[in-house]
Amino acid sequence: MADDGQNYSIFNSRLLVDVVGDVTDEALKASRLKEIIGVIGGRLFNWASRKSFFPLHLGIKCCALEMAAAGGPRFDAQRFGLFFRSSPRQCDVLLVNGPISKKFADPIVRLWEQMPEPKWCIAMGECAISGGPYFQSYNVLEGVDTVIPVDVYIPGCPPRPEALIDGFDLLRQRILLNGVSPAMVADDTASPVVVGDD
Amino acid sequence: MAEMWISMGPQHPMTHGLWTLKVKIDGETIVDTIPDLGYIHRGVEKICESRDFTQITPYCDRLCYASANTWSHSYIYAAENLLEVEVPERAEYIRLIAVEIQRIASHLMWLGAYCPDIGNLTAFVYCLREREMMLDLLQELGGSRMHYNFPRIGGVKRDLPHGFAMRCRAKVKLFLQRIHEYEALLDESTIFLIRTQGVGYAKPEEMVNHGVTGPNLRAGGVNYDVRWAHPYSVYDELDWTPSVERSSVKGADCYDRYRVRLDEMKTSAELILQALDGIPGGAETFHESGDPALIAKAPARASDGQTGFHHFEDPRGESMFYLAGGGDERGKNPYRVSIRSPMFITIPYAAKCMIGYKIADVPAIMGSFDPCIGETDR
Amino acid sequence: MGMKVNHEKQVAAANDVITALEAEFSGEGLSCEVRMHAGGKHQRSYVYIDCPPSIWAIVAETLSEVHAVDHCSMITGIHWPEKSPEMEWQVVVHLMRMSVRNPPSNEGIVMPIISDASILQGSDMPLEFEVSIAIPETRNPSIPSVQHVWVGADWNEKETWDLVGIDFEGHNEMRRVLQPHETPAGFHPLQKQHKLRYHEFNEMYDDAQGFARKSEDIGKVK
Repeated sequence: MADDGQNYSIFNSRLLVDVVGDVTDEALKASRLKEIIGVIGGRLFNWASRKSFFPLHLGIKCCALEMAAAGGPRFDAQRFGLFFRSSPRQCDVLLVNGPISKKFADPIVRLWEQMPEPKWCIAMGECAISGGPYFQSYNVLEGVDTVIPVDVYIPGCPPRPEALIDGFDLLRQRILLNGVSPAMVADDTASPVVVGDD
Repeated sequence: MAEMWISMGPQHPMTHGLWTLKVKIDGETIVDTIPDLGYIHRGVEKICESRDFTQITPYCDRLCYASANTWSHSYIYAAENLLEVEVPERAEYIRLIAVEIQRIASHLMWLGAYCPDIGNLTAFVYCLREREMMLDLLQELGGSRMHYNFPRIGGVKRDLPHGFAMRCRAKVKLFLQRIHEYEALLDESTIFLIRTQGVGYAKPEEMVNHGVTGPNLRAGGVNYDVRWAHPYSVYDELDWTPSVERSSVKGADCYDRYRVRLDEMKTSAELILQALDGIPGGAETFHESGDPALIAKAPARASDGQTGFHHFEDPRGESMFYLAGGGDERGKNPYRVSIRSPMFITIPYAAKCMIGYKIADVPAIMGSFDPCIGETDR
Repeated sequence: MGMKVNHEKQVAAANDVITALEAEFSGEGLSCEVRMHAGGKHQRSYVYIDCPPSIWAIVAETLSEVHAVDHCSMITGIHWPEKSPEMEWQVVVHLMRMSVRNPPSNEGIVMPIISDASILQGSDMPLEFEVSIAIPETRNPSIPSVQHVWVGADWNEKETWDLVGIDFEGHNEMRRVLQPHETPAGFHPLQKQHKLRYHEFNEMYDDAQGFARKSEDIGKVK
C-alpha cells in the first residue's frame, strides 16, 4: 500500500500505529471507557492548566518591572503556581507588558506561534491594550490584539502587582468555565475578560 | 574553527529589556557583536511636539522606567531652563530627596536583575525587598509605585506628607544596614567574584571618547559627576563625595562597576538623611499645594528662538534634554524635544567590550553596564 | 560643604576657548559667545558656537585636539520649514569637556584624581558646549561627520539621520537604528510634514454615536 514514488516497504510503523489506534479506539468506544477517560482526563488537564500557569519571561517595558515585583517577595506570584519560563516552547501564557512597535510585531507573533496549545494571552497595561499614551505614534501598534488574540486585559499604567495577580485569577476562572483548549470552548462568543469589570 | 552568528534576543532573560545582541562566535570566543535596538521605539520625541510642557512630564517618566523620577526631573530642569523659572529652595530639597530615593531604587533593581544573570538568585529577592521599601516612600511622595509625575515646572506638586520624615529616616537607616547583607552575600561568594573580576575591561579614555558617563565611567577612576561639575539643585549645600573606584590599568571590570553602584547607594542614603535635616522650613512643616514655598509661577509658552538644555546625573549616566521653543499653539508646545539617553551610547560600547571573552560572559558584561532599553529607544 | 566648581573660573575658561576659536575661525563665519543657563539659582555658563556647515569638521578637530573637548554628548537635528531659505535644517551638537581623564596609576592600580573641584581652572575646567549648525534650504541636507573625532558621535549621527533625515558625509555604516530596518527609504518621521496619527481628530470621545458622552461634554471639541 505504498504510494507511488515512495520506496519503503508495504508494511511500515506508521501504518502499524494507525491500525492499532483504530482498533483501540473502537474498543474503547464500545465499552464506554472513552467517555469516562475523556471526562476525567479533561478535568485533570483543566485543573493542572489553571493551577500552574507558566508565563513567558518577556519584559517589554515598564509593566515588566511590576511583573518582576509580582514575582518578588512582597507579592510572590509563585505561591499561585506562576513560574516564569525563558523558552516560549515551554510556556502557556504570553504576558504582553508593553507597547508593540512595528519592529516587534513580527517577533511577538512568532513567539505566540511557537507556544504550544493550550495557550492564552494576557495584555497587561495600557500600551498593550490600546497603544496607551503612545496611541498617536508612528511606530506603535494600537494594542497587541491587532496581531494576537487576547484573553484577559489588565488596565493600568502600570497595573499594580495585585492587579496582575487578579488578572491571572480571572484567567483561572475563565479556564474553569470554558475549558482548556479552543476546541472545548462551549460558547464561541465568549468575550475577553477585563480586570475590574465586576 | 566554526564561526557563526548567534542572535541573543529580543526575548532573552539576559537582555534586561527588549533588544537583540547579535554575537559572532568562533568556538566559544566572541569575535564580533552587533547590537540591534529599536524594538520599543515609541516616537516620544515626535509625540511631545504636540503636548503642553506639563503634559510631557508623564512621558518622561516612562522613558527609563527603572528610574522614572530622575527622567522627569531631567526634563523639568530643561523646561525651567527654557522658560527661565527659578525654583524655591524647599522644592529643590524635596526634589533632591525624591531623586536620590529613586537612585537607590534604580540601583537596587539593577542589582536584583544582575545577580540572577550571574547565578545568584538570592540577591534578586533581597534587592526587591529593599526596593519595595523605597517604592513605599516614593508612593507617599508621588502617589504611585512607578511613574509618579512628581515635579512641576517651578517646583513640586505637593509637600512632604505628614510623618514622611520619620518613616524615611527609619527606612533609609535600615537600608544602610541591609547593604552589609549584600556585601556579605556577594563579596564572599567565589562564583560571583570569578564571574565578575577580570571580565569586561573598559578603559577610561575610550569610555570618555565613546560618550560613556556616570557610574560606568567612575568605575574606571575618572572622577566626573555632573552634580559637581555643572551643579544644579542643592547638591553643593550637602556634604558628599562622588563614588569612584580604583580600577586596574587594564580598565574597569564588572566588579568595579558593581562596587561603584553599591557605593552610590550609600552616598544617596546619606544625602537623603542630610537633606531631611537641612530642608528649609523643617521636614515636619506642611505647606498646601500651590504654596509659593513649593512652586513658582512659570510661563506657559516659549517663543521661537528660546532654547534650553540641562545635563542631569541619571543612575545610568548623564541624561540631557534639549528643548526648542516655538511650537504649535503659539508656543504652548515645544518645537523640538531632543532626549539624550546615556544607554543609547553605552550599549554599542558595551557590545565592543565583549570582544575577546567567552559567550558565557555576555550576561555578566552586559548586565554590569546597567542597560535600560526604555530610554535607549525613546 | 559639597564640592562645586568655581563659577568665575568656569566663565574665564569659557572665555579662553572663545578667544582662541574666534581668532582662528571668525573669518569663515563662525561666531561664539558665553551664555548662561537661565533658571535655577546656580550660575552655569556654557559656550555657544554658531558654525557654518563647511568648516564643521575642522572646528570639531580643533576643539578636540586643542581645547581637549573629549566627549560628544548629543547630536540633534531640527527641521525648520518656515525658516527656509536661511536655515531649513539645523544640527545642534552638544559637547563636553570632562578634563578629568587619564588618571595616574600606581603599581597597576589607577588612582582617582581630583579631591577639590574648586581649584580647577583653565583647561582643566569642565565645560559645556553647544554648537549650532544651520543648513540652508535643500532637499538633501548633509554636514560632515565627526565620527573620526569622537566615537560617541557615531550612533548619534545614525539616529539623527534615521529620524530627521540629515545625512553625514564620511560616516561609514549609516543605517536605520531606531526604526525597523525595512522602513522605506526617505521616511524620516521627525520632519514637520509628517503628522501624528489622529492629528486632525477633534472629537472629545472616539465613539461616533456618543454612547459614552456625558451631558456636560456635548458640543465640546478636544
